[in-house]
Amino acid sequence: MATIKTMKKNAVTAPLSEISVLGWIRKNLFSSVLNTLLTFVTVYIIYTTLKGVWSWGIVDAVWVAENRRECFAINVDGACWAGVIAWLDNIFYGRYPREELWRINLGIFFLFMWMVPLWLPRVKAKISIGMTTVFLYPFLGGYLFAGGEKGIFMQVMLTAAVVCLLVNTIHSIIGVFSGRSLPEFFASLSNKKNICEKTQRNIFFGFLAILFVLIYVWQMSWNVERVPWTKWGGLFLTLVIAGIGIASALPGGIVLALGRRSRMPVIRVFSTAFIELFRSVPIITVLFMATTMFPLFMPQGFVLNKLVQVIIAVCLFNAAYMAETVRGGLQTIPQGQFEGAHTIGLGYWQTMGLVVMPQALKHMIPNIVGNFITVLKDTTLVSIIGLFDVLGMLRSIGKDLPWLGLHIEPLVFGAILFFLICFTMSKYSRHLEAKLSTNHHN
Amino acid sequence: MAVSNNSKESAHIRPKEQFDFLHDERVRSVFYQLLTVAAVGLAGWYLISNTAQNLEARGMQTGFGFLKVAAGFDSYFKLIPNEAGVGTYGRIFIIGILNTLYVSFLAIIASTILGFFIGVLRLSNNWLVSKVALAYVEIFRNTPFLIQVVFWYIGVFSLLPKVRSSIDLSGGAELLLLNNRGLYMPWPILGDLFWMTGAALVIAIIAVVILKRWAHKRQDKTGKIFPTFIPSVAFLILLPGTVYVMTGMPLGWDLPKLEGFNFTGGATLPPSFVTLLVALSIYHASYTAEMVRAGILSVNRGQYDAAHSIGLRQGRVMSLVIIPQAMPAIVPPMISNWMSTIKNSSLAIAIGYPDLVSLFMQTSLNQAGYAIELVGMTMAFYMVVSLLISWLLNIYNERVQLVER
Repeated sequence: MATIKTMKKNAVTAPLSEISVLGWIRKNLFSSVLNTLLTFVTVYIIYTTLKGVWSWGIVDAVWVAENRRECFAINVDGACWAGVIAWLDNIFYGRYPREELWRINLGIFFLFMWMVPLWLPRVKAKISIGMTTVFLYPFLGGYLFAGGEKGIFMQVMLTAAVVCLLVNTIHSIIGVFSGRSLPEFFASLSNKKNICEKTQRNIFFGFLAILFVLIYVWQMSWNVERVPWTKWGGLFLTLVIAGIGIASALPGGIVLALGRRSRMPVIRVFSTAFIELFRSVPIITVLFMATTMFPLFMPQGFVLNKLVQVIIAVCLFNAAYMAETVRGGLQTIPQGQFEGAHTIGLGYWQTMGLVVMPQALKHMIPNIVGNFITVLKDTTLVSIIGLFDVLGMLRSIGKDLPWLGLHIEPLVFGAILFFLICFTMSKYSRHLEAKLSTNHHN
Repeated sequence: MAVSNNSKESAHIRPKEQFDFLHDERVRSVFYQLLTVAAVGLAGWYLISNTAQNLEARGMQTGFGFLKVAAGFDSYFKLIPNEAGVGTYGRIFIIGILNTLYVSFLAIIASTILGFFIGVLRLSNNWLVSKVALAYVEIFRNTPFLIQVVFWYIGVFSLLPKVRSSIDLSGGAELLLLNNRGLYMPWPILGDLFWMTGAALVIAIIAVVILKRWAHKRQDKTGKIFPTFIPSVAFLILLPGTVYVMTGMPLGWDLPKLEGFNFTGGATLPPSFVTLLVALSIYHASYTAEMVRAGILSVNRGQYDAAHSIGLRQGRVMSLVIIPQAMPAIVPPMISNWMSTIKNSSLAIAIGYPDLVSLFMQTSLNQAGYAIELVGMTMAFYMVVSLLISWLLNIYNERVQLVER
């Protein structure tokens, strides 16, 4: 028999096992005999591991010492971080002249300034900012790092880069405060309303031209000292190689991926062969190929230095990997998008550039970040062929006379360093994946 | 456009396509392809002619004749006998390939097992266990493999005790001994009649397969489950065991014995081998674990509920419903992971394990020159392996697709 209650019944509070800490512990750690056992075993393992690491790395560790012997004199059981601390500059900058370190820091700061607007929500024209980072920043950074006499080409590109950086920064500051782009801002300065786009653009280009001339004249008056590549090293060198690798891999990868999906058989075969060749061999063999065979490929009397050889090898290798990432991204684009673009009369490049790539790139960003992590990790291999990248530097600590035999601490430090960089990036890529995801099912 | 006004014919007449030479897609396609061929050909010709000039100028020889020349060095770890000054470079190539495949094969097995284990832990409903598994995965995936290899070598396997105070992994039985010269273990000595035990094992395996098929068919027909596990295990142990005893136990063990300053007898794996094996297994297990986790999570929640609701036990839910559906998502990335295991074994060069790259691309190249041939052969080996593995992957994908509806 059914009964109907007309009075409202008070809601029952959730059972204690669902809301209290104890309930959570019971549910997640001690839900069954096996689980309880597992929890205790795990706690024991964590305890012993952490205790060992803690006492070795923190409690018994020696932070200040002149050399390894002194480390031992203070405490034999602990880590000798003093060696790592003494070498910290070398780990980060290699043997770059100490009085010139500001150039590296400045170059990295410029890169940072250039790229920060990409993350600011109100700034417009992000694609241009991104493109200039890839195509103009290398000249600014490259000149700061390498220095020396500037040729006419370098002068022009350097000026363009500085102009771009300035305009970028002004544009972003204005964007953050007013939500407008720089040309729009110029237009609003004059009191006339409704200035057409063409005039806006002309004013903007005029501004750029004036700036360009001013900076060109100014840059002729200064020079920075030349630092040969053999002095480059440490994390700086790792980042340079990985950065160039990833920046060139993206355009290269896009071209190769389009080639692999092309309807023209010859182009398809060449692209596929290139991609498969580089993807199937270990990177160390590519590096060996670069150092042993590239000198043979060059015309007589033309010598490539080892850094350039390595960078070319890394670029070729990464382009092949990036091609597969791009291809994966292209495959997520439904056929209807291609057909739609054809229907409204777009050609191949317009279809790809305006319709397909923007959508595909969005899908690819997490994978590109993943790729960057791989590149960064793989760059440590250049230490095998004799470049002093961060791992090369870490391993030479143990060969330095005062710190002879100090191997483990530098390696642990390197592992932590890479972990911090890579873990942050992978977390960020997962965050991006969630943010960019537009499929709303499940 | 020549569209006729005649209504009778209009259905048959199509506007004649105007052939515009410059804007025709086919013409352009051929043109671009010719351009590509020309560009690649020119670049190739340029590189080859430069190389030829350089080789001539440096007086370097080319050709594969050097493979028959005796190499002046020997690998300290090898699976086939070789002698410095007698064995040829061709033999060194084979030794390198075998060493690479040997360590990779063991690492693939170990990393797959460990990876499945960690992946299952990652899905455990015990919060602590799943977080520890997560920490494992994140730590090993986010540090460079090279640092890990070097760390295992310098930080662990070089610090092992000397021969006299070896660590006994078998708990006092002195069977598995680990010291700074490597891992010492017993090695079987096969007697004359041992092949009969082997044959018995093969027969037992075939019998078990037949039994399983029969049980499966019977279940399809009658719905009754025939317990196959205990009979299979019993059969697999009893048949070879009986044959082994009847033929007079034709298997001896060569045990490692301490003689003088070193162990003799048994088999030895050098520290570099053990290091590489451990490092590869641990590193790639972290990738496998994520694949296993993703694969199992990719199975729809409804499948669990449905399987439970028709009354299957937890074990059968996993083995009959979840795992078969998760496998198509797990296996392809796992096979690629095997390929990267083989490729990553080339980092042996950092710790001096004589794999193909270190023997052939480094030592042989320094001793004999022939850069192009050596680099080409080494790369060709990896490409062949990669082709084989993608072939395997294709076979698997085809089979899975047939099952899928």
